[in-house]
Amino acid sequence: MATVTFDEATRTYLKSDRPAVDRLNLEVRDGELLVLVGPSGCGKTTTLRMLAGLEHVDEGSILIDGKNVVNLPPRERDIAMVFQNYALYPHMNVAQNMGFALRMAKVPKADIDRRVRAAAKILDIEEYLGRKPRQLSGGQRQRVAMGRAIVREPRVFLMDEPLSNLDAKLRVATRAEIATLQRTLGVTTLYVTHDQVEAMTMGDRVAVMKDGLLQQCDAPRALYERPVNAFVAGFIGSPPMNLVPGSVEARGVKVGSTHISVTDALPKPIGDSVTVGLRPEALALAAPGDGIPAVVRIVEDLGAESFLHVELANGANGAGSLQAKTNVIARIEPHSTPGNGELVHLRVKDGSMLFFDAETGLAIPT
Amino acid sequence: MAQSRRYGLQLVGIVILLVFTVFFFVPIVWLFLAPTKTDGQLLTESPFAFGSFSTFAHTLHRIVTYSDYSLLIWLKNSAIYSFGGTALAVIAAIPAGYALALTHFIGRRVLLVITLVVMIMPATALVLPLFLEINKLGLYGTIWALILPFGFFPFGVYLTYIYFSATIPKDLLAAARIDGAGEWRVFWHIALPLAKPIVALVGFFAFVASWNNFFLPFVMTYDNSQYPVQIGLQQLIGSTASFNPANYTAGSSVVVLHRPDLAMAVIIAIAPVLLVFLFAQRSLVSGMLAGATKE
Repeated sequence: MATVTFDEATRTYLKSDRPAVDRLNLEVRDGELLVLVGPSGCGKTTTLRMLAGLEHVDEGSILIDGKNVVNLPPRERDIAMVFQNYALYPHMNVAQNMGFALRMAKVPKADIDRRVRAAAKILDIEEYLGRKPRQLSGGQRQRVAMGRAIVREPRVFLMDEPLSNLDAKLRVATRAEIATLQRTLGVTTLYVTHDQVEAMTMGDRVAVMKDGLLQQCDAPRALYERPVNAFVAGFIGSPPMNLVPGSVEARGVKVGSTHISVTDALPKPIGDSVTVGLRPEALALAAPGDGIPAVVRIVEDLGAESFLHVELANGANGAGSLQAKTNVIARIEPHSTPGNGELVHLRVKDGSMLFFDAETGLAIPT
Repeated sequence: MAQSRRYGLQLVGIVILLVFTVFFFVPIVWLFLAPTKTDGQLLTESPFAFGSFSTFAHTLHRIVTYSDYSLLIWLKNSAIYSFGGTALAVIAAIPAGYALALTHFIGRRVLLVITLVVMIMPATALVLPLFLEINKLGLYGTIWALILPFGFFPFGVYLTYIYFSATIPKDLLAAARIDGAGEWRVFWHIALPLAKPIVALVGFFAFVASWNNFFLPFVMTYDNSQYPVQIGLQQLIGSTASFNPANYTAGSSVVVLHRPDLAMAVIIAIAPVLLVFLFAQRSLVSGMLAGATKE
């Protein structure tokens, strides 16, 4: 087990005008499962590959247990990695794949066999040890890739979107298995995904990246409830947080032509533009004439809950704005859902609004 | 109207294909039938007539025993030069192509361009400087004069480069590096076992290039005992009476050859290439198609 520290770690690709990873400061605690999440091109995989030694670190350092490893080749970092496409050696059977790293380390054959069998037992793939990767299903290959990582007993696990090639049902089952396995083994793990649901369900902490910059690193609940900026607010959560333009008023904000009261006064002058953050569950249907008027565009009935996709009416983009119409998602009780095209009124639940600076996107504390 | 026009076009296509088929197949069929006939029959009978098996056996015996089994000596020499050159070409080309495709080092692009440039240069252009070099090294007249030059096989390097670029996922090599393998072990344990089709393909092309080469051994050898079969064939043409009537007068004690003997020698000369092709056929085809489709 080990700690991993990124200290101002920077990577800029040739012919690129901005760094893929820009002065990253991040610590993965001993035994922790830290998930790096962000949209495509945000630098999460580059970060992982920098730690693996597959990507050069242009500036800054990366420390494993306090030792700077940026100049060490991958084989000397004592890490194991699970790749997005599994990267199983196609000419070797499962046992040979899992034992390859031990063979490279010149571990005696009997020990390799014992450790491979032990790992295979944990992952329930003992019966496939003699098979080649092409004879396995996607889920089985994923397990072999995991097995190849755990058989080494490394200091750090790196996982690069290991579930992205699985179907939806298997992905849900496997992510729970990986999280359980990681907690059982207690190995420090850096896990990369673009799927924020995966990040929120698996990570002890989640680090959100955008354009090579770390936006926020915190526990899933804290990220959800206290995002530091509008990007994190919009990225975390499914469906995402509604971000609608508003303006500061006395004891509240104005969204469209509707005044919404705020318990604590906003530290902004009256008339200033703000972005109002509303989680889908922060909205509820109100009596006609009360709340924000909106037109229902789509109703998604998921059984236990329903999502209303609505378009805010009455110039909700602000006075004189020529922006596109503002679409909002509201989570409502599954029964008595309105029909498509119906005019509804939405009420904002008390204390559930977040505010972000309209220019910088930074959260405004209330 | 449109249908008859389509049939007409198809007919024209078939006729063109048939003409080309006949044009290219006639010499091959003639070659394989020639040793079954005597020289006289070759001139008087139909080109596609089959002579007899006894004539075939007689022709085979004549050409094999000709000039104290020279043909067998030339075949042995060809085999030594070709297998030696092929081994060297494969040993050099496969790692070179791998390095150009999947590793990063200073000058990689320049080397790749040079490889391409040298590949399109005619091999004969290098024969004279090679002769001077080999002579300077004191290797003239040795087997190394014909093996070492074939270790330089830019076409093989380029084929390997294409193969590795198109078929080996980079993550596979990254996985091996993380698993503790250094660069050489990544190549040996991961890349090479996955490169069997291209090893076979490069080996085949190198073998054919070496086996069929005429000009380099023509310059590098000086004695009948050193000749490969391609130079030997040229000797045989010189010994064929029909091609050199002035040299062979009636009553001469010199053993003269005839056209069926020469045809038999040619068949024997191409047989090893055909055998190598048959043995490596499966790998060759998969190597030629590598990277053509996404798996």
